[in-house]
Amino acid sequence: MRKALLIFRLALMERSAYRVNFILEVSGGILSILIVIFLWLAVYRSSGRTELGGYSLAEMVTYLLGGGLINSFLLRTAENPEISQAIQTGSLSGLLIQPINPYWVWLLRDLAAKAFLGAIGLAGYAVVCLCLNERLVFVGEPLRLALFGTALAAAVLLQFLTFASLNLLAFWVENTYGFRFTLRVVMEVAGGAIIPLSFFPDLLQRIFAWLPFPYLVYFPMRIYLGKIESSAIIGELIGAGAWMAGLAGLNAVLWTRGLRRYTAMGD
Amino acid sequence: MKRYARLFWLLCRASLMRQMAYRPHFFLMVCGKVIRMVLLLFFFQAVFLRIDRLGRWTFDQVLLLFATFHLVDYLISITFQRNLSYRLPELIQSGNLDSRLGLPVDPLFMASLENIDLMDFISFIPCLGLLVYALHRLGFAFTWLQALLYCLLIVNAVVFLFAVVLIIATISFWTTRSAGLARVFDDLTQVGRYPLDIFEGFWKFFFIYVLPLALISQLPSQALLGSLSPGFLLYAVTCSSLLAGIAVRFWKTGLNNYSSTSS
Repeated sequence: MRKALLIFRLALMERSAYRVNFILEVSGGILSILIVIFLWLAVYRSSGRTELGGYSLAEMVTYLLGGGLINSFLLRTAENPEISQAIQTGSLSGLLIQPINPYWVWLLRDLAAKAFLGAIGLAGYAVVCLCLNERLVFVGEPLRLALFGTALAAAVLLQFLTFASLNLLAFWVENTYGFRFTLRVVMEVAGGAIIPLSFFPDLLQRIFAWLPFPYLVYFPMRIYLGKIESSAIIGELIGAGAWMAGLAGLNAVLWTRGLRRYTAMGD
Repeated sequence: MKRYARLFWLLCRASLMRQMAYRPHFFLMVCGKVIRMVLLLFFFQAVFLRIDRLGRWTFDQVLLLFATFHLVDYLISITFQRNLSYRLPELIQSGNLDSRLGLPVDPLFMASLENIDLMDFISFIPCLGLLVYALHRLGFAFTWLQALLYCLLIVNAVVFLFAVVLIIATISFWTTRSAGLARVFDDLTQVGRYPLDIFEGFWKFFFIYVLPLALISQLPSQALLGSLSPGFLLYAVTCSSLLAGIAVRFWKTGLNNYSSTSS
């Protein structure tokens, strides 16, 4: 546990080395969400209705802000090339002789990155929330918040496991960025980060439901906004758990088989 | 001029060889970029399932705007955007810019075009297809003059973006890191995907006159649709030319300020 805390702390310190740059990057993420919010304000104005697709304007703004926060700051980190770079450059050799499994180091470093970006993101969003105060839905129910937190934790782990499996492909292929880029593109839309999935045509909704991505943004935000029955939440959490178990199994297979193939040359 | 054209061709070939070294990666990236465009189209379709018009813009017109935005976006990402926004600050920070300054070519040419992104060139082709599809939906209802103005304003948009990106990149001569600022600008340019009618009051004014992102896709699309006034046309061209002049001057000042950090 002490080792884990140390790795977590070191990763946090690394992340905070270039604070101004990070704050600017975070501002960029917030700006993107604000632009989409402006778009939806215009859509509601143009429609002349107070509710679209079962979402009131306040619910939509809350969804987009929350979805944006989850997507920009909690879900983008594990696509980082740390794992594949370690395998490709051979720096994995140094990690393998350390008294902790490199896979756990990567997981902890990823969680630290998410915690750091999430904290900066929250600070930035607090300012935005103050400005949009009247247009937001605030939830005070402890149970709903606890379920939202659980769904969020599941999303964070699910996202790490998904991208880690692609990163581990570096044992077999020379460059994994193409895989990760394509997955991120699909994840953003199919996860519901830019629009609630119920707005898409039926066929697309059915396709997205077969993927793990709706658990990343759409599911937590539906819990927060009370758009899902309590009984259905349990079923969805089981679904997310099944995906996590499946991906964790896949990661374990890729890691053990990959290590058997792994060779590194020093200079 | 001929020498620079030959050099550009050589840089394209070198970039293609470098990028094709990982062929599956190359084609996956192209697929990812095309998928992104298609999914964003679905996003617009989902929006227009609920409304007939966004401000004064119909779905077909928004499609034209969207295709125009991506056309400009690809033109800059194929050529100078990543070179200036992300590569140049790295070269300055590491001191590797020295080796480029010793070459018998204009340093700005090398800094802007050293890596030509041919992945984006391949992804650019479906984008042209989307533009043709949008024009087909609009019934190709434009005159030759409108088409000419559209092309002129596309070039104008590229010049405008080159100027802004160059100004941001030049800042790294003093700060060594400007990638954060470049990313903020990248995110801001996404405004160009949507009609400016989504903004009201101050923000509309801001994106037309203060940071005129309307130049990227709004004005070219309006020109093709025949709804652009001559005043705005003049404004767009003046604005880009002025900014380009300022950017090149700023770059020269930055370059004079450069002190190598390499060993």
